[in-house]
Amino acid sequence: MLARTHRLRAAPALFATIALILASCQGAEPQELLVLEWAGYEADDFWTDFQTANPEVPVDFEFGTTDADILSLMQAGSQADIFHFYTGWQQFYVDEGLVREIDTSKLTNWDAVPADMQALGQIDGKQYFIPWDWGFSSILYNTEEIPDGISSWNALFNEEYAGHVSMWDDGPAAVTVSAYINGWDETAITDEQLAQIEEDWIAQKPLNIHYWDSEYENLCPEVKSGEIWVAYAWQGCYADALYAGAPVAYANPDEGRNSWVGLYGINADTDSYELALQFLDLKLAELTCGNAVTLFYYGCANGDVMAAVEDPVLIEAFGINDPGILETTNFTPPVTAEQRDAWTAMWTRVKAE
Amino acid sequence: MLGRRGALRFLAVPPYVWLGLFFVLPLVLIVAISFRPETGPINFDDPWALSLVQYQRVWETESYLRLLGVSVLMALVVAGSATLLAYPVAYFLAFRARDRAVFYLVLLLIPFAASYLLKIMAWRLMLGQEGAINSFLQYIGLTAEPLDLLLYSRAAVIIALVYVWIPFAALPIYAAMQRINRGHQEAAADLGAGPWSRFWRITVPLSLPGALAAFFMVFIPTVGEYVTPSLVGGTEGFMYGNLIQDFFTSAANWAQGSALAVIMLVVTLVLVIVALRVVDVRRLSS
Repeated sequence: MLARTHRLRAAPALFATIALILASCQGAEPQELLVLEWAGYEADDFWTDFQTANPEVPVDFEFGTTDADILSLMQAGSQADIFHFYTGWQQFYVDEGLVREIDTSKLTNWDAVPADMQALGQIDGKQYFIPWDWGFSSILYNTEEIPDGISSWNALFNEEYAGHVSMWDDGPAAVTVSAYINGWDETAITDEQLAQIEEDWIAQKPLNIHYWDSEYENLCPEVKSGEIWVAYAWQGCYADALYAGAPVAYANPDEGRNSWVGLYGINADTDSYELALQFLDLKLAELTCGNAVTLFYYGCANGDVMAAVEDPVLIEAFGINDPGILETTNFTPPVTAEQRDAWTAMWTRVKAE
Repeated sequence: MLGRRGALRFLAVPPYVWLGLFFVLPLVLIVAISFRPETGPINFDDPWALSLVQYQRVWETESYLRLLGVSVLMALVVAGSATLLAYPVAYFLAFRARDRAVFYLVLLLIPFAASYLLKIMAWRLMLGQEGAINSFLQYIGLTAEPLDLLLYSRAAVIIALVYVWIPFAALPIYAAMQRINRGHQEAAADLGAGPWSRFWRITVPLSLPGALAAFFMVFIPTVGEYVTPSLVGGTEGFMYGNLIQDFFTSAANWAQGSALAVIMLVVTLVLVIVALRVVDVRRLSS
């Protein structure tokens, strides 16, 4: 009886202790991360500094196939703490409240990111995104089959290369290329212009061996084997082909190359904000950024890493030795939701034709 | 205490729940989403306003409807070819393999053990410009240059799909042939019917339900096929299933993708119902 009374007296203290533990647990962040990524970016080399610093923290990945897909996954309530997308899509995430502002004061590698790169992640003066990978889009071509070289995006439409062309399977990219060729403002494409673009790409369709959708799966191998002579490509495939000794060159079209930057955002609903910040900070660290450059041939936002590149193939691929490269490069502008829908619908009609 | 019938009903609950959750419910969701008006990703917080705009868009886009027609035709060719090629395989297993039937059946099932993607990727190696077929054709001097048309074409999609489906198609035909009473054959032989006559008048009609099951088993999923065309079809081999996939992924337009999926489902079901009405299986097999 006494013992029972004693237990009853002890109960409030026990409840208080449990409540205290629960409260302290509530304050602590979960020590795990989920990253919404593009297939391939889950490779350990792409987040090696974080792994070394936090060997006990499990990092899982889920994948999107396109920027539209990643946006729709986030809109559908993805549990990912961090998501990765490309320039042109920043505004959607901010407008829909899907992203949390980044506290750059907590990033130890932030100063290594050039200011103009940092600005790409800002909306209304707030830093919502961290730039990470970057690169060019241009025409990759076989120099044995096309010894005279290529000076225009129009090469993708040249019937002389029929059966040996490969365009990226992407509606907005198709619109961008057409805008360059026709000298149109890609942020203000009219309905008539879009109809013309659709007709042009339908006429171009038989020239393609296929539309590629995975750089290292169905573009680079066929560039290296010589089956593809002319392709819309990123510099990574160019470097890959150069390393393989393939006779290729990466065009500097009169209309200018295109440039893109990959950005990371932190989910507005994440419970692991501090851990997500650390993950992004260490993505910018020298080893991880260096891996992106040397192993995967992507540019990285850490300026020190890019300045240290000495490999002649990478210098060529990134145009590091060309002081005028950025002056002739078109940076991917933001698109509106209506443009995005219209352009992707246009591309599905081209493919269905 | 549950009776025998009660126990059976109880055992049937998990599969029904499974089907309900992972087949019926998603299907209902697809149908529901197809009546939403959005052109971009669905915002589930928005009110559910019914709209036929997605169906109207499909109806107004000739290329989508044409692609559905092409995909149905391709599925007919694939299903017909796979069934025809599977028929002798099943016949051999049922009537000629005798004691070795199980061994050959295992051989037939071996491809199931390999990944689907692996099999299709193998066809890329076979059909490519430097692939086995082109190399062989050049080696025997039939062609001077590699043939472009083998890979990344509608033909490549059909060849790969027929290959993949043959083992599947053989199984229902084999099952139907196994049910054929051997006494019919013996009686027909006693009455003077030759092997061809027995084959055409006994084996074929009695195995027809299995052949039709095989045909539809191949036809229905092939209409919506998208993996094989994306791997070996190139720009020409694009199918209706790829269109649906595009709307769900690159276009992130779930409502339009759902409408396209519902249309495909309805068209496929109508075709199957019409075919079953036209081909009176019971009359043929009796």
